[in-house]
Amino acid sequence: MLQWPAEGVTRSPYRVMSDPEIYSLEQERIFRGPVWNYLCLEAELPKTGGFRTTYIGDTPIIVARDKDAAVNAMVNRCAHKGAMLCVEAGGTRQNFTCPYHNWTYDLAGNLRGVAFQHGVAGQGGMPADFDLAQHGLERLRTETFQGLVFGTFSDSVEPLEQYLGPGMLANLRRVFHKPLEVLGYHHQTLENNWKLYMENSRDPYHATILHTFYATFKLNRLTMDGGITIEHGGWHSMNYSKGATMREGGYEGTGIRSVVENVGLADPSLIAGRQEFDDGITVAVQSLFPSCVNQQIYNTLALRQIVPLGPLRSELHWTIFGYADDDPELRTMRLKQSNLIGPAGFVSIDDGVIGEWVQRGIGGRGAEASSIMEMGGREIASTTGSRATEATLRGFWQGYRSLMGW
Amino acid sequence: MVTVPEEIRRQIEDLHARYIRVVDDGQWEEWPQLFTETCVYKIITRENFDQGLPLSVMECHSRGMLQDRVTGLRSINVFEPHRYLHQISGLSIESISGHRILCKSNYLVIRTMLDGNMSIFSAGVYLDQVALSSEGARFEQRLVVADSRRIETLLVLPL
Repeated sequence: MLQWPAEGVTRSPYRVMSDPEIYSLEQERIFRGPVWNYLCLEAELPKTGGFRTTYIGDTPIIVARDKDAAVNAMVNRCAHKGAMLCVEAGGTRQNFTCPYHNWTYDLAGNLRGVAFQHGVAGQGGMPADFDLAQHGLERLRTETFQGLVFGTFSDSVEPLEQYLGPGMLANLRRVFHKPLEVLGYHHQTLENNWKLYMENSRDPYHATILHTFYATFKLNRLTMDGGITIEHGGWHSMNYSKGATMREGGYEGTGIRSVVENVGLADPSLIAGRQEFDDGITVAVQSLFPSCVNQQIYNTLALRQIVPLGPLRSELHWTIFGYADDDPELRTMRLKQSNLIGPAGFVSIDDGVIGEWVQRGIGGRGAEASSIMEMGGREIASTTGSRATEATLRGFWQGYRSLMGW
Repeated sequence: MVTVPEEIRRQIEDLHARYIRVVDDGQWEEWPQLFTETCVYKIITRENFDQGLPLSVMECHSRGMLQDRVTGLRSINVFEPHRYLHQISGLSIESISGHRILCKSNYLVIRTMLDGNMSIFSAGVYLDQVALSSEGARFEQRLVVADSRRIETLLVLPL
């Protein structure tokens, strides 16, 4: 149905950003295929009965903490007539009862009761051989790592730690090393295909160009030490930089729009921060295939999850957190710096619109064209030093093609 | 509710009217002047506000931070040009303590894009703390509580 360009992963045909048939296939082969999807944080399920709702692609999901402290993930769909059981983002429940016909499930998704199972006054009811045990909620395989909950529909995908690989695990251990406290959520609709956001999130080439705030205020530049880490043949990647290592020059006088001259902050306390990781890394953006991003931008910490809403639209969910033991000064810094991120972030505002401009640009004739990703060569490999590369994007398309069979 | 001298109500309504003119007519450099030097301005979604979560969509702790937001939208950030039309209604004055007024209003913001697409971009309440002085009324605090948890595409102009 699709002939991938002969150039391989240095090209991506724009048709994959708009074709409804391809969108449906992605649901099956990627989101319900052999991948681990980020679902929520264990910190959001502190007690028995704590639950969160989310999506894996188009499929609604409930994640709940059971009595034995186990975390279960189920499809948020009553086994009887298909109604969603929970519409809230989260909360606490003793069980999940469908409002339609009162079918009731426990925290593991087992069907515990059916209204009027034995009829009324001996009349009606379910057949005598109706077996509750055969009609639970559809369960997912789940695994947790450092307090992050992942789920999969696949029986064949490798264990989570093997799927993520040592380079990704290292950064997750680095960030999720002590108890968290969720500071709040953002939700942002994007008028573009979900993959345009995932490309953007792992693209170190654009970061210091489009995001003028970064380069102007020297928060992130390609003239800082840093690198990219790639795992699973490119499926997952991270790009990082160390603010204190910046060398002057490289941007000024190049004609690149990314540095605005003669601009200062009237209140620089916005970007006052603290070095809280001893490796000197000040910006680390980690992209986990297919749809999760873990970001540290100075003292802002967030997980982002992209949920597709059809081929042309998506919703980005942000979970912003700090640590439970933050001192008041650090907590204030995190909240002030949160002005850098989210739908109104000095850095991330620009990402809100850029995907939409691509989506509009590739309409019509664009469906026959492809994007070009040859910055830093044609390979997919980790590097230290230069981040003037698109190896991380080539890696995404490597994963995409292998799952889609192209 | 308290009994409110007409003069105080009029000053706050004037402040709202100036706010609308400054934001909706693109006179953004004047927007920080409607706030006191040590003001607080936050946009927070109802989702976070009702759960007591501290995260805001936009959070300014001084007039300088408001000026920085103007710098951002004038010369740093990339976005598609658009304009707002504010409707502010239902001013209710909750308390008067000396020159400090606590009040609450509904707001509705219609956003119009370059291609003519118009939508209700945000609706919610303003929780305001207003200081009266000889120079007129100014916001000491404006908390914008947006009913929707969702922002469409991006938020760059102040609500």
